[in-house]
Amino acid sequence: MSNGGTTAQGRKEGGFEREPARRVFAGELRECRHQFREGDDEKSPTFVLLPTGERSNRVFLVGTLTEKQRRGEQNIFYRGRVVDPTGTFFVMAGSYQPEAMQQLAKIETPAFVGVVGKPNLYQTPDGAYLVSVRVESVTIVDRETRDLWVLDTARATLDRIDAMAQGLTPDAARVKEHYPALDPAMFRKMVYEALAQIKI
Amino acid sequence: MDFSQTAERISLKFSQKGQSVDTKKIEAKLRRLIEEFGVQPAEAERSVTNELAKEFNLPGIGTGGGGAGKPGEREIRSIADVTPGEWVTIEGKVVAILSPVSPSIAQSGIIADTTGAIRFVVWAKANAPEMRQDAWYRIESAVIDEFKGVANLKIHSGTSVKPIVEDRALIPSILKVGELKPGIGSVRVKVVQEWETTHERMLQSGIVGDESGTVKFVIWKEPSKERLKVGAVYTIFYALVDEFNARLSLNLSTATYMQDEGDITVSGGDSDVRGAVVHIAPGSGLIKRCPVEGCNRALSRQNYCPVHEIQPGFVYDLRIKGWLDDGEKTYNILLQREVVESLTGINLNAAKELAENNPLGMDEVFLRMRDTILGRYIICRGREIDNRLLVRTCERVKMDTGEHTALLNRAGGAP
Repeated sequence: MSNGGTTAQGRKEGGFEREPARRVFAGELRECRHQFREGDDEKSPTFVLLPTGERSNRVFLVGTLTEKQRRGEQNIFYRGRVVDPTGTFFVMAGSYQPEAMQQLAKIETPAFVGVVGKPNLYQTPDGAYLVSVRVESVTIVDRETRDLWVLDTARATLDRIDAMAQGLTPDAARVKEHYPALDPAMFRKMVYEALAQIKI
Repeated sequence: MDFSQTAERISLKFSQKGQSVDTKKIEAKLRRLIEEFGVQPAEAERSVTNELAKEFNLPGIGTGGGGAGKPGEREIRSIADVTPGEWVTIEGKVVAILSPVSPSIAQSGIIADTTGAIRFVVWAKANAPEMRQDAWYRIESAVIDEFKGVANLKIHSGTSVKPIVEDRALIPSILKVGELKPGIGSVRVKVVQEWETTHERMLQSGIVGDESGTVKFVIWKEPSKERLKVGAVYTIFYALVDEFNARLSLNLSTATYMQDEGDITVSGGDSDVRGAVVHIAPGSGLIKRCPVEGCNRALSRQNYCPVHEIQPGFVYDLRIKGWLDDGEKTYNILLQREVVESLTGINLNAAKELAENNPLGMDEVFLRMRDTILGRYIICRGREIDNRLLVRTCERVKMDTGEHTALLNRAGGAP
């Protein structure tokens, strides 16, 4: 599956460009309701549309791994919950990500972890939406890294809100279509509250 | 795409004849042709000009398709303003003569006026008089075309070339390295580095730079050419700026250069990237290198060098390959031994010891280094080539309370 660098994607002449890992709080990621694929190729990347107006094929998140579970009989996979100041990320690693799965298996909860992974949007039979992050790598990090991530993610989120307010984002039309009722002020408030939880 | 400049230029032509044309209207016409119908910009400009010329009954203005000698073409144009596809008349000074590369070319070089410079080519069939360096000429009905993305003045059999007496001072405008575009450029730079020449006709190649960036240069062997001194500052007039694989280089064959006083702090093309390490690639950590003089390739686990085969007398080294991600862009980073040592706190000897005393061997070094830096914020400084960053120095990002406060204000500041 994803080796984080081998999927051919020639959007830019001269070859493959790795998709950047977006910084997004759990409180925003869980509001995603739209997922799309760019291009018809089997290997074309899929994106979830962040409500603040940017597409995301990959995310980098830092939080506290509070819980992990081994699931499955033949196809073993691990599920985990990573908590940030705004909510919970659901992460999972299966046999297609053996390294990530082993890393996740090894980490004792609770621990600050840094996770790189691909977000996917699912709809449960009762119609609820769930965003889960398929882990590419996970490592134990320190508190300072967590705090740096909150700052980084706050900045990135505010940048996205501002860019969307000015209509600068290429996906602005998509956002209008798929998140018609969404108020960006709610994410600004979320950012403020996340920052306020950091004690220096 | 911005059409205002082209529209301005067209509007100027008509205002000179006493007709005023709304530039917005011209822009709209240009936009329609270029964006909707995929017409080349030069062709669109000509087409719109002709259309308006017809409308105002001013046949002199339109640049007709190929018919030489129309009155409009006699107007002297500024070299800086000509665009491919046009027939033009210019007056300029030959600032460089190049040795012709093909028998069908009689002469080539650079001609400049006060506004800029352009490469010219005289076809052998043109029967044009031979032009001399540093002399001024009036060139009528030449064609501007484009070769490898660079505008060129073609002197063909319909072109008239006349020497003129001129004593205008011609001072080329000096550009910053960061502002160079394919074509001709003059710069004031410091020689940063010279490379081994890769070709017997090559006199010297290397890197020059100023505060805005660096660029590769090359000087081909010619009787009058001298080598540049590394560390010295030079003013270079009329170098050819070539583009290859989206990277620029300076060819000094046409250039006049002189050593200059003073010093320049070269930016080194260095970029600072602050981001998170999102991937550590296999082949990072403790590696073995081929001991053959000048090779230094990384060996496989079985000590196999792709060129020199099995090398049991390998040399140990440390390196990290991976991806650094700032949330907008991902950079392929390469850290050399010193940088790896300072970032991970594991030096080469410690790494060797770890590998020797551990059941996992060299993998243990990889895993320890991965656990120390993966998912961490670092700042890397180094030379950026495409999306690769050859890292010179690297450090951990530290918490900045000022940034925290600024972000709180930003988040809470707006309603």
